[in-house]
Amino acid sequence: MKRALVIVLLAIVAMPLLAAMAAMPRFGSAEQPAYTHVAKRYLERGVEEAGAENVVTGVILNYRGFDTNGEVTVIFTACAAVIAVLAGSRNRQDQREAASSVPESLVVRYVVRLLAPFIALFALYVVLFGEVSPGGGFQGGTVFGALLIVMTVAVSRNQAERLLPLRIRPWLQIAGPLSFLAVGTAGVVLTGWYLGFPQGATAATRLMLMVLEFGIGVGGATVIASIFWRLGDEA
Amino acid sequence: MSIVGTVRYAAAAVLMCVGAFFFFVGTLGLIRFPDFYSRTHGATKCDTVGAGSILLGLCVLRGLEADVLKILAIAAMVLLTSPTAGHALARAAYRTGLRPWTHRIGGGESDDA
Repeated sequence: MKRALVIVLLAIVAMPLLAAMAAMPRFGSAEQPAYTHVAKRYLERGVEEAGAENVVTGVILNYRGFDTNGEVTVIFTACAAVIAVLAGSRNRQDQREAASSVPESLVVRYVVRLLAPFIALFALYVVLFGEVSPGGGFQGGTVFGALLIVMTVAVSRNQAERLLPLRIRPWLQIAGPLSFLAVGTAGVVLTGWYLGFPQGATAATRLMLMVLEFGIGVGGATVIASIFWRLGDEA
Repeated sequence: MSIVGTVRYAAAAVLMCVGAFFFFVGTLGLIRFPDFYSRTHGATKCDTVGAGSILLGLCVLRGLEADVLKILAIAAMVLLTSPTAGHALARAAYRTGLRPWTHRIGGGESDDA
Protein backbone atom coordinates (compact mmCIF):
# COMPACT_ATOMS: atom_id res chain seq x y z
CA MET A 1 0.00 0.00 0.00
CA LYS A 2 2.68 2.42 1.09
CA ARG A 3 4.85 1.46 -1.85
CA ALA A 4 2.02 2.05 -4.32
CA LEU A 5 1.42 5.46 -2.80
CA VAL A 6 5.07 6.35 -3.23
CA ILE A 7 5.03 5.27 -6.85
CA VAL A 8 1.90 7.30 -7.58
CA LEU A 9 3.37 10.36 -5.89
CA LEU A 10 6.62 9.97 -7.77
CA ALA A 11 4.72 9.70 -11.03
CA ILE A 12 2.73 12.83 -10.25
CA VAL A 13 5.90 14.77 -9.45
CA ALA A 14 7.79 13.36 -12.42
CA MET A 15 5.16 14.11 -15.03
CA PRO A 16 5.40 17.93 -15.02
CA LEU A 17 9.18 17.70 -14.86
CA LEU A 18 9.29 15.36 -17.85
CA ALA A 19 6.82 17.57 -19.70
CA ALA A 20 9.03 20.59 -19.01
CA MET A 21 12.06 18.61 -20.23
CA ALA A 22 10.24 17.80 -23.45
CA ALA A 23 9.39 21.46 -24.00
CA MET A 24 13.00 22.58 -23.60
CA PRO A 25 15.12 23.24 -26.68
CA ARG A 26 17.44 20.41 -27.65
CA PHE A 27 20.79 20.26 -25.89
CA GLY A 28 23.25 22.46 -27.79
CA SER A 29 20.58 23.85 -30.08
CA ALA A 30 20.93 27.44 -31.25
CA GLU A 31 17.45 28.25 -29.91
CA GLN A 32 18.49 27.90 -26.28
CA PRO A 33 17.80 31.06 -24.26
CA ALA A 34 21.47 31.22 -23.33
CA TYR A 35 22.36 31.69 -26.99
CA THR A 36 19.44 33.86 -28.04
CA HIS A 37 19.46 36.42 -25.24
CA VAL A 38 22.66 37.02 -23.31
CA ALA A 39 25.25 35.78 -25.80
CA LYS A 40 23.65 37.73 -28.63
CA ARG A 41 23.71 40.91 -26.60
CA TYR A 42 27.37 40.33 -25.65
CA LEU A 43 28.39 39.84 -29.26
CA GLU A 44 26.32 42.62 -30.76
CA ARG A 45 26.89 45.37 -28.24
CA GLY A 46 29.68 44.07 -26.00
CA VAL A 47 32.40 46.20 -27.53
CA GLU A 48 30.57 49.50 -27.15
CA GLU A 49 28.97 48.68 -23.80
CA ALA A 50 31.75 46.96 -21.92
CA GLY A 51 34.57 49.14 -23.19
CA ALA A 52 36.92 46.30 -24.18
CA GLU A 53 37.63 45.34 -27.77
CA ASN A 54 38.14 41.76 -26.67
CA VAL A 55 34.60 40.58 -25.93
CA VAL A 56 35.85 37.83 -23.62
CA THR A 57 37.51 40.44 -21.43
CA GLY A 58 34.35 42.53 -21.49
CA VAL A 59 32.26 39.56 -20.35
CA ILE A 60 34.67 38.41 -17.65
CA LEU A 61 35.46 41.78 -16.11
CA ASN A 62 32.44 43.92 -16.87
CA TYR A 63 29.22 41.94 -17.44
CA ARG A 64 30.23 39.20 -15.04
CA GLY A 65 32.51 41.21 -12.82
CA PHE A 66 30.93 39.82 -9.65
CA ASP A 67 31.68 36.28 -10.78
CA THR A 68 35.33 37.14 -11.42
CA ASN A 69 35.51 38.98 -8.13
CA GLY A 70 34.49 35.73 -6.49
CA GLU A 71 37.04 33.79 -8.50
CA VAL A 72 40.01 35.92 -7.49
CA THR A 73 38.84 35.69 -3.90
CA VAL A 74 38.79 31.90 -4.21
CA ILE A 75 42.34 31.93 -5.60
CA PHE A 76 43.55 34.11 -2.76
CA THR A 77 41.74 31.94 -0.23
CA ALA A 78 43.45 28.85 -1.67
CA CYS A 79 46.82 30.51 -1.18
CA ALA A 80 45.94 31.55 2.37
CA ALA A 81 44.75 28.01 3.13
CA VAL A 82 47.94 26.38 1.81
CA ILE A 83 50.09 28.78 3.79
CA ALA A 84 47.99 28.30 6.93
CA VAL A 85 48.03 24.49 6.69
CA LEU A 86 51.75 24.26 6.01
CA ALA A 87 52.77 27.05 8.37
CA GLY A 88 54.61 24.71 10.72
CA SER A 89 57.94 24.40 8.91
CA ARG A 90 60.56 26.59 10.57
CA ASN A 91 63.76 24.94 9.35
CA ARG A 92 63.59 26.39 5.87
CA GLN A 93 67.25 27.35 5.69
CA ASP A 94 68.52 23.78 6.31
CA GLN A 95 66.19 22.34 3.72
CA ARG A 96 67.23 24.88 1.17
CA GLU A 97 70.87 23.95 1.66
CA ALA A 98 70.02 20.28 1.41
CA ALA A 99 68.16 20.93 -1.82
CA SER A 100 71.06 22.84 -3.32
CA SER A 101 73.39 19.85 -2.89
CA VAL A 102 71.69 18.21 -5.89
CA PRO A 103 73.90 19.09 -8.88
CA GLU A 104 72.26 21.55 -11.24
CA SER A 105 72.33 21.31 -14.98
CA LEU A 106 74.44 24.09 -16.46
CA VAL A 107 72.54 23.89 -19.74
CA VAL A 108 69.12 24.33 -18.18
CA ARG A 109 70.37 27.05 -15.89
CA TYR A 110 71.93 29.02 -18.72
CA VAL A 111 68.90 28.75 -21.02
CA VAL A 112 66.47 29.74 -18.25
CA ARG A 113 68.64 32.75 -17.41
CA LEU A 114 68.79 33.71 -21.06
CA LEU A 115 65.04 33.44 -21.62
CA ALA A 116 63.76 34.79 -18.29
CA PRO A 117 63.59 38.46 -19.37
CA PHE A 118 61.73 37.52 -22.55
CA ILE A 119 59.24 35.37 -20.66
CA ALA A 120 58.66 38.19 -18.17
CA LEU A 121 58.12 40.61 -21.04
CA PHE A 122 55.68 38.22 -22.66
CA ALA A 123 53.75 37.86 -19.41
CA LEU A 124 53.48 41.63 -19.13
CA TYR A 125 52.35 41.84 -22.74
CA VAL A 126 49.64 39.23 -22.21
CA VAL A 127 48.37 41.08 -19.14
CA LEU A 128 48.34 44.55 -20.68
CA PHE A 129 46.91 43.53 -24.06
CA GLY A 130 44.16 41.34 -22.64
CA GLU A 131 41.79 44.20 -23.33
CA VAL A 132 42.26 44.15 -27.10
CA SER A 133 43.57 40.66 -27.88
CA PRO A 134 43.37 37.16 -26.41
CA GLY A 135 44.99 37.10 -23.02
CA GLY A 136 44.50 38.94 -19.79
CA GLY A 137 45.36 38.87 -16.14
CA PHE A 138 44.79 35.18 -15.48
CA GLN A 139 46.87 34.06 -18.46
CA GLY A 140 49.69 36.57 -18.05
CA GLY A 141 49.85 35.91 -14.33
CA THR A 142 50.13 32.20 -14.95
CA VAL A 143 53.01 32.76 -17.39
CA PHE A 144 54.84 34.84 -14.81
CA GLY A 145 54.13 32.33 -12.05
CA ALA A 146 55.53 29.57 -14.26
CA LEU A 147 58.63 31.68 -14.84
CA LEU A 148 59.13 32.00 -11.08
CA ILE A 149 58.75 28.23 -10.67
CA VAL A 150 61.22 27.50 -13.49
CA MET A 151 63.70 29.94 -11.96
CA THR A 152 63.28 28.27 -8.60
CA VAL A 153 63.97 24.84 -10.06
CA ALA A 154 66.74 25.71 -12.51
CA VAL A 155 68.54 28.73 -11.08
CA SER A 156 67.97 29.28 -7.39
CA ARG A 157 65.08 29.83 -5.09
CA ASN A 158 66.66 32.87 -3.49
CA GLN A 159 66.97 34.59 -6.82
CA ALA A 160 63.35 33.83 -7.71
CA GLU A 161 62.09 34.92 -4.30
CA ARG A 162 63.90 38.22 -4.64
CA LEU A 163 61.44 39.18 -7.40
CA LEU A 164 58.62 39.12 -4.84
CA PRO A 165 60.13 40.75 -1.74
CA LEU A 166 58.83 39.27 1.51
CA ARG A 167 57.98 42.72 2.85
CA ILE A 168 55.32 43.39 0.20
CA ARG A 169 54.45 39.78 -0.72
CA PRO A 170 51.21 39.65 1.30
CA TRP A 171 50.01 42.70 -0.62
CA LEU A 172 50.92 41.08 -3.91
CA GLN A 173 49.10 37.91 -2.91
CA ILE A 174 45.91 39.80 -2.25
CA ALA A 175 46.32 42.06 -5.31
CA GLY A 176 43.41 40.41 -7.15
CA PRO A 177 40.68 41.00 -4.53
CA LEU A 178 42.20 44.39 -3.72
CA SER A 179 42.01 45.57 -7.32
CA PHE A 180 38.38 44.47 -7.46
CA LEU A 181 37.70 46.33 -4.25
CA ALA A 182 39.33 49.48 -5.63
CA VAL A 183 37.55 49.30 -8.99
CA GLY A 184 34.27 48.36 -7.31
CA THR A 185 34.53 51.40 -5.09
CA ALA A 186 35.37 53.55 -8.09
CA GLY A 187 32.21 52.13 -9.67
CA VAL A 188 30.20 53.24 -6.63
CA VAL A 189 31.54 56.75 -7.04
CA LEU A 190 31.05 56.88 -10.81
CA THR A 191 27.76 55.05 -11.29
CA GLY A 192 26.35 54.36 -7.85
CA TRP A 193 26.81 50.57 -8.09
CA TYR A 194 29.56 48.30 -6.81
CA LEU A 195 31.63 47.25 -9.86
CA GLY A 196 29.46 49.49 -12.03
CA PHE A 197 31.26 50.63 -15.16
CA PRO A 198 30.49 53.83 -17.05
CA GLN A 199 28.73 53.06 -20.33
CA GLY A 200 30.94 52.73 -23.36
CA ALA A 201 34.66 52.71 -24.01
CA THR A 202 35.60 55.77 -22.00
CA ALA A 203 39.04 56.41 -20.56
CA ALA A 204 37.69 55.61 -17.11
CA THR A 205 36.40 52.20 -18.22
CA ARG A 206 39.72 51.36 -19.84
CA LEU A 207 41.62 52.38 -16.74
CA MET A 208 39.33 50.29 -14.54
CA LEU A 209 39.71 47.24 -16.77
CA MET A 210 43.48 47.72 -16.82
CA VAL A 211 43.64 47.91 -13.02
CA LEU A 212 41.61 44.70 -12.78
CA GLU A 213 43.80 42.87 -15.32
CA PHE A 214 46.94 43.97 -13.56
CA GLY A 215 45.62 43.05 -10.13
CA ILE A 216 44.54 39.61 -11.33
CA GLY A 217 47.91 39.08 -13.03
CA VAL A 218 50.06 40.10 -10.07
CA GLY A 219 47.86 38.24 -7.61
CA GLY A 220 47.76 35.08 -9.72
CA ALA A 221 51.51 34.96 -10.30
CA THR A 222 52.28 35.57 -6.63
CA VAL A 223 49.79 32.98 -5.44
CA ILE A 224 51.12 30.30 -7.82
CA ALA A 225 54.72 30.94 -6.80
CA SER A 226 53.88 31.19 -3.09
CA ILE A 227 52.04 27.88 -3.09
CA PHE A 228 54.93 26.25 -4.95
CA TRP A 229 57.51 27.57 -2.54
CA ARG A 230 55.45 26.64 0.49
CA LEU A 231 55.03 23.09 -0.77
CA GLY A 232 58.79 22.97 -1.34
CA ASP A 233 59.35 23.91 2.30
CA GLU A 234 57.60 20.78 3.43
CA ALA A 235 59.43 18.36 1.17
CA MET B 1 53.79 33.97 -61.28
CA SER B 2 57.37 34.80 -62.16
CA ILE B 3 60.12 32.18 -62.15
CA VAL B 4 61.58 33.56 -58.92
CA GLY B 5 58.16 33.35 -57.35
CA THR B 6 57.70 29.76 -58.48
CA VAL B 7 61.11 28.74 -57.14
CA ARG B 8 60.40 30.43 -53.85
CA TYR B 9 57.04 28.75 -53.59
CA ALA B 10 58.55 25.36 -54.40
CA ALA B 11 61.35 25.83 -51.86
CA ALA B 12 58.83 26.77 -49.17
CA ALA B 13 56.71 23.73 -50.03
CA VAL B 14 59.72 21.41 -49.81
CA LEU B 15 60.77 22.87 -46.45
CA MET B 16 57.30 22.48 -45.02
CA CYS B 17 57.02 18.92 -46.29
CA VAL B 18 60.34 18.13 -44.63
CA GLY B 19 58.96 19.63 -41.42
CA ALA B 20 55.76 17.62 -41.67
CA PHE B 21 57.81 14.46 -42.31
CA PHE B 22 59.91 15.01 -39.20
CA PHE B 23 56.79 15.67 -37.15
CA PHE B 24 55.35 12.40 -38.40
CA VAL B 25 58.52 10.43 -37.73
CA GLY B 26 59.01 12.04 -34.34
CA THR B 27 55.47 11.22 -33.29
CA LEU B 28 55.88 7.67 -34.55
CA GLY B 29 59.05 7.39 -32.47
CA LEU B 30 57.29 8.80 -29.43
CA ILE B 31 54.73 6.01 -29.70
CA ARG B 32 56.85 3.12 -30.91
CA PHE B 33 60.33 3.51 -29.37
CA PRO B 34 61.07 1.09 -26.54
CA ASP B 35 62.13 3.27 -23.60
CA PHE B 36 62.01 6.74 -22.13
CA TYR B 37 65.31 7.98 -23.54
CA SER B 38 64.66 7.04 -27.13
CA ARG B 39 61.12 8.40 -26.90
CA THR B 40 62.43 11.71 -25.62
CA HIS B 41 64.86 11.67 -28.51
CA GLY B 42 61.99 11.18 -30.95
CA ALA B 43 59.77 13.81 -29.39
CA THR B 44 62.41 16.53 -29.43
CA LYS B 45 63.06 15.99 -33.14
CA CYS B 46 59.52 17.24 -33.79
CA ASP B 47 60.19 20.61 -32.25
CA THR B 48 63.70 21.26 -33.53
CA VAL B 49 63.81 19.90 -37.07
CA GLY B 50 60.06 19.71 -37.69
CA ALA B 51 58.95 23.09 -36.42
CA GLY B 52 62.30 24.58 -37.48
CA SER B 53 61.91 23.72 -41.14
CA ILE B 54 58.22 24.61 -41.21
CA LEU B 55 59.04 28.05 -39.81
CA LEU B 56 61.90 28.38 -42.27
CA GLY B 57 59.48 27.51 -45.06
CA LEU B 58 57.12 30.23 -43.84
CA CYS B 59 60.02 32.70 -43.92
CA VAL B 60 60.78 31.79 -47.52
CA LEU B 61 57.11 32.11 -48.41
CA ARG B 62 56.84 35.51 -46.79
CA GLY B 63 59.87 36.99 -48.51
CA LEU B 64 61.67 40.10 -47.30
CA GLU B 65 59.26 41.50 -44.75
CA ALA B 66 59.29 42.45 -41.10
CA ASP B 67 57.17 39.41 -40.25
CA VAL B 68 60.13 37.19 -41.10
CA LEU B 69 61.98 38.54 -38.08
CA LYS B 70 59.10 37.46 -35.86
CA ILE B 71 59.08 33.98 -37.37
CA LEU B 72 62.86 33.74 -36.92
CA ALA B 73 62.45 34.80 -33.30
CA ILE B 74 59.94 31.99 -32.79
CA ALA B 75 62.33 29.55 -34.48
CA ALA B 76 65.20 30.69 -32.23
CA MET B 77 62.99 30.25 -29.18
CA VAL B 78 62.00 26.73 -30.25
CA LEU B 79 65.58 25.76 -31.11
CA LEU B 80 66.70 26.95 -27.69
CA THR B 81 63.97 25.59 -25.44
CA SER B 82 63.11 22.22 -26.96
CA PRO B 83 66.58 20.63 -26.66
CA THR B 84 66.89 22.12 -23.18
CA ALA B 85 63.65 20.49 -22.12
CA GLY B 86 64.78 17.18 -23.64
CA HIS B 87 68.13 17.48 -21.87
CA ALA B 88 66.48 18.24 -18.54
CA LEU B 89 64.09 15.29 -18.88
CA ALA B 90 66.77 12.79 -19.87
CA ARG B 91 69.18 14.08 -17.23
CA ALA B 92 66.57 13.83 -14.50
CA ALA B 93 65.66 10.31 -15.58
CA TYR B 94 69.32 9.22 -15.63
CA ARG B 95 70.13 10.77 -12.27
CA THR B 96 67.17 9.11 -10.63
CA GLY B 97 68.39 5.75 -11.84
CA LEU B 98 66.33 4.91 -14.93
CA ARG B 99 68.45 2.50 -16.97
CA PRO B 100 68.48 2.80 -20.75
CA TRP B 101 66.97 0.01 -22.82
CA THR B 102 69.79 -2.26 -24.06
CA HIS B 103 68.10 -5.25 -25.66
CA ARG B 104 69.09 -6.53 -29.08
CA ILE B 105 66.50 -6.76 -31.82
CA GLY B 106 67.01 -10.52 -32.05
CA GLY B 107 66.31 -10.98 -28.37
CA GLY B 108 68.58 -11.29 -25.35
CA GLU B 109 70.54 -8.59 -23.54
CA SER B 110 73.68 -6.96 -24.87
CA ASP B 111 76.97 -7.31 -23.00
CA ASP B 112 76.92 -4.06 -21.05
CA ALA B 113 73.40 -4.50 -19.70
